[in-house]
Amino acid sequence: MNFDVSQADTPSVMVPPPLADRVIDVRGLNFYYGKNQALFNVDLPVARHQITALIGPSGCGKSTMLRTLNKIYDLYPGQRAEGQILFNGENMLNAKEKVDTSQMANAGGVPINGDTARLRARVGMVFQRPTPFPMSIYENIAFGVRLHRNVSRAEMDEIVETSLTRSALWDEVKDKLDTSGLGLSGGQQQRLCVARGIAVEPEVLLLDEPASALDPLSTAKLETALMELKSSFTIVIVTHNLQQAARISDYTGFMLLGKMVEFRPSSDAFVKPETAAMRDYVTGRYG
Amino acid sequence: MAEAIAATAGEMAPRVDDSRGVSRAGRNDTIFHGLCFSAAMVLMATLVGLIISLIIGGWPALSHFGLKFFVSSEWNPVTDEYGAAGPIVGTLVTALLAMMMALPLAVGIAVFLVEFCPKSIANTVAAAVELLAGIPSIVYGMWGLFVLAPWFSQHVQMPLLMSLDPESFWGRLLTGVPNGANIFTASLILAVMILPFIATVFRELLLTVPTYVREAAYGMGCTPFEVVRAIMLPYVQRSAIGAVMLGLGRALGETMAVTFIIGNSHAMPHSLFDSGSTIASTIANEFTEATGDLHISALIALGLVLFIITFAALAAARLLLGKEKY
Repeated sequence: MNFDVSQADTPSVMVPPPLADRVIDVRGLNFYYGKNQALFNVDLPVARHQITALIGPSGCGKSTMLRTLNKIYDLYPGQRAEGQILFNGENMLNAKEKVDTSQMANAGGVPINGDTARLRARVGMVFQRPTPFPMSIYENIAFGVRLHRNVSRAEMDEIVETSLTRSALWDEVKDKLDTSGLGLSGGQQQRLCVARGIAVEPEVLLLDEPASALDPLSTAKLETALMELKSSFTIVIVTHNLQQAARISDYTGFMLLGKMVEFRPSSDAFVKPETAAMRDYVTGRYG
Repeated sequence: MAEAIAATAGEMAPRVDDSRGVSRAGRNDTIFHGLCFSAAMVLMATLVGLIISLIIGGWPALSHFGLKFFVSSEWNPVTDEYGAAGPIVGTLVTALLAMMMALPLAVGIAVFLVEFCPKSIANTVAAAVELLAGIPSIVYGMWGLFVLAPWFSQHVQMPLLMSLDPESFWGRLLTGVPNGANIFTASLILAVMILPFIATVFRELLLTVPTYVREAAYGMGCTPFEVVRAIMLPYVQRSAIGAVMLGLGRALGETMAVTFIIGNSHAMPHSLFDSGSTIASTIANEFTEATGDLHISALIALGLVLFIITFAALAAARLLLGKEKY
C-alpha cells in the first residue's frame, strides 16, 4: 500500500442514517487480535432495509468489522471486542449494560440475552468462499430452518422454494434439489448460501466479499438478488468492488487502518468524497 | 487442446532443443513410472503370495474336517480333532466388544480436543493419547493379568455371581469362573489398546474440516453440538472408515495382550465372563508345540480365517457407509 499515513488521521466524516432507522448501531468499537488492535473507536450505523457497503484497502478492518456484528470472532480465543454493538436495543458485547435505545429501530422479538446462537440466527452471514454443507441442495436450506423451528414437510418445501426464488437460484436448481450442493457452480453455490442464510429469516444479512470468487454474470445475478432482498432484510456487505458498492448500496463506509474514515449515503460518497483518503481510494490512487 | 496450443507455440517460437529435452524427460518419466508400478506390484505380489501359502498350508486341515472346522468347537491336539468355532467366535466377540467400547469414547475424545478444549491443554492431552498408542501390547497384557483381572474378579464377577439368578438372561450372560481371565476383560484391554489409535486418527480427521465450513455452520446459529453432529462428523464420515478399520484390525489381530488375559480355553464361550480364546492367541500359544502335520495345518487354516475376517470387516464397513452421496 502506498498512501500518506497522515491521511488516516483526517477527522472522519459521518453522515449517518437517522437514529430511528438503525437496526444495528456500533459505537466506539475497539477490536483486538490478541495484542494487535485491528479496529480503533469505530462507529457503524446500519439502517433498516438498506444496503450498507464497507469498502477500503485490504487489511483496513472491514471484514473484522463485519465479523463482530454476529460475533463469529467468538470462536477464536484471543479475539475480543470492546465498545458497544447495539442490536435491537441490546448491547451484544455486554448483555447487562443498559443503553438507552428507545429511539432506535426495534423489531422486537425474543431478546438475545447473550445467546450467540440466537444472535447468529438473526444476523446471518454469507462468506467470501461459497460454503455449501456436504448435503443436498434441499437439505442445505432445510438444515438451518430446522435448527430454529419445527416445520412440516409441506412448509419446508415452501420455505426452500421461496428462499431459492428470492436468491435467484430456483429456476436453475428446481429439478435437482436432492443432488449435492457441492455439485453447483461457484456462483450457484454462493446464491445457495444466500438462500440458506435468508431461509432462517434473519433481520440482518452480512456478506463478506460474496462476489470476489464469481464471474461477472454470476455477480450480476447475485447483485440483483440482493437488491430484491433489501425489501425484507437489512444487508451489510464488504466488497473490494467499488462499482458494486456504488451500484447496490444505500450507505457506504470507507475504512482505513482500522478506522471509519467516511460514512455517508452512497449517492453522495462516490460522487464527491469528502476526505482526501477516500478520494484517493475511489479514484484508484492506492488500494 | 493443450497439445494443440503447445504445438502452435512451438512452431512460433522454437526455442527449446526438442530432441534433447523430450527424450530426457521421456526417459526419466519411464523410469519413474516403472518404479511406482513395481512398488505397487510388490505389494500385490506379497498379498497374493500370502493368501496362496495360507491356502496351501491350511488345505490338509480344511479338507480333512470340511465344514466341521468352522462349526465344531472340539479342539483337541491329543485326538487330532480341530474345530475352530471357539477361537473364531472369541475373535469376533472380543473385537466387536472392544470396538463398541472404544469407538464412542474415541470420538468423544477427538471432538473434545478439537472443538472444546483450549489449545494449550489439547496438545498435552493429544500427546498423552499418542503415548498410550505407543505402549507395547505385552505391557497391556501384563497389566491386564496382574492388575485388571484380580480386581475384576473380586469387584465385578463375584458380586454378580452372588446376586444374579443363574437361569435368567443376565445370569447366563454374565456368570463364569471368577478368575478375571475371560472374554470381557480381554475386550476391555483391547478397547484400551485401540482407543488411542482411533482417537488420534479421528482428531486428525476433524482438524481437516475447513475453517470456513465451521464458521458457516456457526454463522447460521448452530450450537457447538449441532456443528459437530450435523456438519463435522458427516464431513469426515468416509475417511473415518480408515480410523475404525485401523482399530478393528488391531483388535482382531492383537495377540500378546489377549493371550495373557483371555483364559485360553478352546471351548465355545457361553457367557461374557467365560474364558475363551481368539485365533491369534491360539496360534501364538500352540505353534511351538504343534507336532502333528494336521495340527500345524489347522493353525495355518486359522490364519487364513483371520485374514478373511479382516477382509470381510473392511468390505462390510465400506458397504455400510455406501457410496459417497454428497
